[in-house]
Amino acid sequence: MNVAGSVPVARRMLFGDRRRLAVSLLGVGGAIGLVLLLQGLWSGQLTQITAYEDNSGADLFVAQPGTESVLSDASVVPLAAVGEIAGLTGVEQVNPVHLHYTVFDLHGRKEFVLLVGSEPRGLGGPWKLAVGREATAAEEVVLDRILAYQHGLSPGDELGVAGATLTVVGLSERTRSWMTSLVFVTSETAARLSGSTMASYLLVTTPTPDETGAAITSATGLDTLTPATLAANDRQVLAEIMEGPVMLMIGIAFAAATLVVALTVYSGVVERLREYGIVKAIGARRRRVWRIITGQTLTLTLAGSALGYLMYLGGTWIVGRIRPQFWFSLKTSHLVVVAAAVLAMSVLAAALPVRRLGRLDPASVCRGW
Amino acid sequence: MVPVDRRMLFTDRRRALLGVLGVAVALVMALALEGIFAGSTGQVSRYVETSPADVFVSQQGVRTIHMSISVLSADTADRVGELPGVEWVEPILFASDAVAGPEGRRATYVFGYQPGGLGGPRTIIEGGEPGPGELVADDSAATALGITVGDEVEILGRPWRVSGLTTGMTSIVNTTVYVRFDDLTQVLGRGDSVSYLLVGTAGDSQAVAEQIEAAVPGVEAQTRPLFSAEERSLVREMSTDLMNIMSVAALIVATAVIGLVLYATILARLRDIGIMKALGLTPRAMTRLVLTQAGWTVATALLLAVAITYALGSVVTAVAPDIDLVVEPASLARAGIAAAVVGAIGAIAPLRRVLKIDPATVFRRPT
Repeated sequence: MNVAGSVPVARRMLFGDRRRLAVSLLGVGGAIGLVLLLQGLWSGQLTQITAYEDNSGADLFVAQPGTESVLSDASVVPLAAVGEIAGLTGVEQVNPVHLHYTVFDLHGRKEFVLLVGSEPRGLGGPWKLAVGREATAAEEVVLDRILAYQHGLSPGDELGVAGATLTVVGLSERTRSWMTSLVFVTSETAARLSGSTMASYLLVTTPTPDETGAAITSATGLDTLTPATLAANDRQVLAEIMEGPVMLMIGIAFAAATLVVALTVYSGVVERLREYGIVKAIGARRRRVWRIITGQTLTLTLAGSALGYLMYLGGTWIVGRIRPQFWFSLKTSHLVVVAAAVLAMSVLAAALPVRRLGRLDPASVCRGW
Repeated sequence: MVPVDRRMLFTDRRRALLGVLGVAVALVMALALEGIFAGSTGQVSRYVETSPADVFVSQQGVRTIHMSISVLSADTADRVGELPGVEWVEPILFASDAVAGPEGRRATYVFGYQPGGLGGPRTIIEGGEPGPGELVADDSAATALGITVGDEVEILGRPWRVSGLTTGMTSIVNTTVYVRFDDLTQVLGRGDSVSYLLVGTAGDSQAVAEQIEAAVPGVEAQTRPLFSAEERSLVREMSTDLMNIMSVAALIVATAVIGLVLYATILARLRDIGIMKALGLTPRAMTRLVLTQAGWTVATALLLAVAITYALGSVVTAVAPDIDLVVEPASLARAGIAAAVVGAIGAIAPLRRVLKIDPATVFRRPT
């Protein structure tokens, strides 16, 4: 008689106590949700960090030799190079831009800012305006919309920065970078605030980036990088800083989820020792017992993961409402990795309960009938 | 008196261990995250905290070094030096860039100072101060980048020879290098300006700082503790929202685990609780029973979490020396309070189960 084959023992053991199952699912779901939240936040940061390169409108960034990254390198190029480059074949447009990371003290709170100084109606200014217009005169500023909202600023307001008074003339959309907001001023204002009259980069549009880039380097001795290259380098710089702590947190979250699954199944095993003893007594072999246990851990981890994904969606919605500066982004590859980790987790969580049942003497559970 | 609550909880040691570990791991998440940010906070302010200056002078509106641009005219040093209470003034230049070595690149602060002056590295553990075209790097970054004294590195678009190594100036975010003031002036094209003034004072530093602000227009003057606090607040304000999100998620996990532990314990002892209820155990006593078990679980888990976090800090430091995991008393206090709250919340479901037990039902023959 093969009772084990016709009765869904694993499912009945797991669903026997719905309250405990609900609490376990909450624990697993919370931990998996946290893993997805961390991964989504990390991916969002990697997307945000390249916001400027991705939207500048340039095909090439002309930079100081040796420059590889906007995030970590301070590029300085002479403005005289603009004229040199403008005359080269293949160059449609060339504009200087100042990029400086700095800190604004707004209403007693420190805000990290990427100060962007560009020529009015030239390349490198705000790519999308929610309200108002671009800065065209000295001491005018366009703020990132979220930054403005957090400080109750709107067009017409003034703010004091590094001893200067700037007038808000517009609010920009989707202009957040890693932990920073982009703030757009004219080149003249940026030069005064930074104390440097030289540009950070020269932005170039061209239908032939490779050939034009080589021509620019040959003529000026400056380096040329595509926005994609700069973006890739910036992501690498950020990864070198943050990836360690993020992975550590994700690892801990997985450990927590594994323990929750193990605890749930182990508790169920201990409470049902008699039933398991009977199953063994009527012929269930070790392998069958193992399948019962891993069936439970797998069901719990898969169901918990589904709940975790829903919690992730809920979490991102809540965070998006109260802290819109945080972006979340999950790729299919992330979900595949998490799914594989969840499977590994279910196998690991089964270890202790399987061991417990492996040592169970069927005769001992029948005492006292 | 029989410690019923403790015995019920710890009779099955494996289950107790799993439960306590689960809560502990959730608390470790919160403690470790806070610890990493606390460590970063300390690292960011190290230049200021180890400086011999009593007052730091910067451009008006600029209250930090990290990610800041401060420009002062070169004659500001002379004007500050003439004020009473000022013993010495040291101008420095500051820039941010990346230092490239054979094995990688690291974001770096670049300080330009007068060799032999007070704006440079506090200690040099190998080699010497920089000459023209030379720099002093931090030993931790040097190891990571494969640099030794005498090697050539690239910063700000030009090569520099490493003349010496200092220590303690590399963080998770960046490292620090020191060059000659004249070299940095030339590279930055800042002929007639400086970034900051380091000021040594006699007597009350705060009074001197206020005097500087009153006498010299367009500057900020902050004492070293205040300047350091501003630097630390940078990291804190940058990380507060992120940490809150992660901490809330970690505490949700901890709440669920506590609930699970208590619920499993209660279920395993339903018969015993039913007997106690039949013998006169009041709802109040049952509540105390469940909450005491929650307290034991949380307290044990918290102690374990602290131990694991300290151990994790040692491992992290050994594997990644640039990451400093610092467990602060305030962080422990917050974790303790949060753990107590989640313990109480986690006890709700098992408490409801216990209060609804009908003593008669537990005497039925188990099926």
